[in-house]
Amino acid sequence: MSHTHTHGNKDDSHHKAAPMVEEVTDYEVLEIAVRELAIEHGLFTAEDHRRFTEWAESIGPAAGSRLVAKAWTDPAYKTLALTDGLKACKEIGVDWAEPTGVGTPSDYMEFHVLEDTPTLHHVIVCTLCSCYPRPLLGMSPEWYRTTNYRRRLVRWPRQVLAEFGLILPPEVEVRIEDSNQKCRFMVMPVRPAGTENWTEEQLAEIVTRDCMIGVALPKPGRTADVHPIQKARRPVKSSHQEAAQ
Amino acid sequence: MSGDRIPLLEATRSQDKTWEALAPRYGVTNPNPPWKTSLTAMCDCLAVSGALPALERRNAEDELADTLYNDIPSPERELLALVHTMVSRGLVSEADLVSRMKTVRARLEEV
Repeated sequence: MSHTHTHGNKDDSHHKAAPMVEEVTDYEVLEIAVRELAIEHGLFTAEDHRRFTEWAESIGPAAGSRLVAKAWTDPAYKTLALTDGLKACKEIGVDWAEPTGVGTPSDYMEFHVLEDTPTLHHVIVCTLCSCYPRPLLGMSPEWYRTTNYRRRLVRWPRQVLAEFGLILPPEVEVRIEDSNQKCRFMVMPVRPAGTENWTEEQLAEIVTRDCMIGVALPKPGRTADVHPIQKARRPVKSSHQEAAQ
Repeated sequence: MSGDRIPLLEATRSQDKTWEALAPRYGVTNPNPPWKTSLTAMCDCLAVSGALPALERRNAEDELADTLYNDIPSPERELLALVHTMVSRGLVSEADLVSRMKTVRARLEEV
């Protein structure tokens, strides 16, 4: 009996699954082999490995948001964040040296917070691969790892930022910081107007992941869970709408 | 010595089979191979259990990335460096790995 995989829309019958690498490489085999042996030798358990895998894939940018919000409200902490990023991370419960459960996935130990000013804007990138401050920001977004972003940002930063909807005035210098194997960075944006007397928790909500990469600016009312609200200027009537009329 | 070449890893390393080379060949857009997070978790497990402290692993990886595996991109380089360090420290043996890789491959290719 034949079966067509659909989701209730006739057009879905043409949907193709994303391609996969149909090849077992020695790298894949090596990773499995060494992990199995490590478990058999009692170096760690399969359960622990599963838990760390689940955690590594689920941590988000909340720690980075907390760091920025704390720095905005506590001048002494801000000084610490700008002079000793690792120590500042420890104060908010993120230890880059030890995977403590809230700390680090495997990463490196050189970390700097880049302070934006009204005339200086930072953006982070990894031109070589996908280095990213994961203990603070979680897994990097897919676009961060694309060659489109990695190669073009360093050449045409304003153009790339404009593609994210961020258009900076010419008097603002744009500085691109290239992460690498040894060193990770994170952007501390300028605290926006209209947030006076806000609590750290309120401030943390508007410091989204993209603000700490540098492709967006924090703004009161703009949080990570807010959906776009701009209506299309020239909407085209879809077949769904026509059918509903 | 940690800097000595390990025959198994020399046979395993291949620029042609890295994810960077392989993914475009199959039209795959995922930037990381499917085993990448598992590798990360393995490093964390080794650190937590005390078998291989994170800083020692990182330092060893830095050294190996600059020397033996400098022509291999990440994350394959991380994997090679980790296994190299584990073999050098006697956490796993090369002979066991050779044998296990055969059984793992047979399992994965079983129809």
